[in-house]
Amino acid sequence: MHLLTGLVIVVMAVALLRAIVPAQPTLTMLGGSIAALVLLVAYRHDLLGTEFWAGAIGFVAILSALLVVLHPNPMVSVLFLILNLLCVALFYIMLQAHLMAVLQVIVYAGAIMVLFVFVIMLLNLRAEEGLRLGSGAERWLAMGLGGVFAALLFWALRHRGGQAWAGPGRYIEGFGTARDMGALLFGEYLFVTEAASVLLIAAMVGAVLLAKRRLE
Amino acid sequence: MDPATLRVLIEATVKIALLFGLNLTVVAYMTLVERRVSAWIQDRRGPNRVGPFGLLQPLADGIKFIFKEAILPPHAHTALYLLAPVIIFVPAMVTLSVVPFGPPVELFGLSIPLQIADVDGGLLVILGLSSLGVYGVALAGWSSNNKYSLMGGLRSSAQLISYEMAMGFAVVGVLMTAGSLRLDDVVRSQMTHGWNVLWQFPGFVVFLTAAFAETNRLPFDLPEAESELVAGYHTEYSGMRFSMFYMAEYANMITASALAATLYLGGYHVPGLARLGLSPNLAALVQVAAFGFKVAVFLFLYVWVRWTLPRFRYDQLMNLGWKVLLPVALGHLMWVAFIVLAGWA
Repeated sequence: MHLLTGLVIVVMAVALLRAIVPAQPTLTMLGGSIAALVLLVAYRHDLLGTEFWAGAIGFVAILSALLVVLHPNPMVSVLFLILNLLCVALFYIMLQAHLMAVLQVIVYAGAIMVLFVFVIMLLNLRAEEGLRLGSGAERWLAMGLGGVFAALLFWALRHRGGQAWAGPGRYIEGFGTARDMGALLFGEYLFVTEAASVLLIAAMVGAVLLAKRRLE
Repeated sequence: MDPATLRVLIEATVKIALLFGLNLTVVAYMTLVERRVSAWIQDRRGPNRVGPFGLLQPLADGIKFIFKEAILPPHAHTALYLLAPVIIFVPAMVTLSVVPFGPPVELFGLSIPLQIADVDGGLLVILGLSSLGVYGVALAGWSSNNKYSLMGGLRSSAQLISYEMAMGFAVVGVLMTAGSLRLDDVVRSQMTHGWNVLWQFPGFVVFLTAAFAETNRLPFDLPEAESELVAGYHTEYSGMRFSMFYMAEYANMITASALAATLYLGGYHVPGLARLGLSPNLAALVQVAAFGFKVAVFLFLYVWVRWTLPRFRYDQLMNLGWKVLLPVALGHLMWVAFIVLAGWA
């Protein structure tokens, strides 16, 4: 746990620096490389251990998430978002939730992000290069809200509920496989699942209706 | 490191090396097959100068690709331009790892499954990885900073999303009869219930059509339609970078063929083999050969269709995907649900 806390602090520091000094994303890269080096040195005796991998993947996840926001080129931002989603999928695999991991890759990384890429290509958003920062008040507000979010995150990490992790490679009864997940979705949570699907269809019909210039 | 971990590592490494080599060899010789078969269909001779029957032609092509100048267009987005061939090539090579090639074989007193990874969501892993390949095409089109490339990239992302839906629905039918996402379970269920192609013919047709579109092969190769887009998304690529797109296309064809054989033609199952009373390892060999034959049939079909049908127009492609294949796949799903409920499968 202390490892993840340390990582979050390093990344937050880099982000803060970045928010104050509007420079190129190379600064983020530099901070990231230093953090990676620290990580490698700290875990040089246990490079195949679970904690090292959790830290390494989490590190890539946080770094890519930062670059989504900080990179001036929208297409590159989208690619870092995909990298971030893939890291989250790896976390699901480490937690034995294989189906969730695969669905994460298919639905988010594979389908939804293609639409992002599609829209960026369609609009050809090259002119957006060069980061536009908000006014002074906006920046302070954003930093304040970010601080609140970070505090919440720390609180959640400290007081996390639920059962302890069973360890790598161990199957937890009734958790993670396609069969278990199906039983949950179409058993206990059937109403929620169906309600969500109706909601999505309503949203889609609404979008089509709004996009149509003239109703016939 | 304890012996059990070491054994798993060695076994996996050997299997990965074998499959990688096999995959690349088949890719190389598919290019030759494509040219020889197209020549045969068009009543020509085809490449037959390099080696006996032109068998060394892929080698000559490879050497030529390596020695071609690798052009880096000055107006391209360099990083993404270099990354795109990698993004398309890696998933194309990796997807075959969850396909079972045969029943487990006994070697050195160990039972070795002929599959690199038997994961719980095997089929979904293939769909997920192949859906990542589209970024290669889209990025190649965008980063080349060329209008033809951009059009190709746009078309491919729209096309892949459209046909993924139909393909997914067709595959759900197979999963319902097998009751599992593991490809080995799908093969085993077909041993007891008969091949899926008999029960689920509409699903098979939808799957095959969508697979043609997903691999960007004719009649759905609009992203690189040379009559209107020069060479589409890979217009600006040359040398080995171009050849990576080319190899990825053939690797995707192999994966799609292996998947079609596994899902609908019983995978490595050979009807009536158990009655011959062969030793387990010999039977496994026969079954691997049968699987190879089934894959080869689909690969030939790919080539055959390419040199027989003309290319679709873009609106025809979209109409076929959304207005024909998707409803057919949905109707088929109802039919399979009925079969499963009635207890026929």
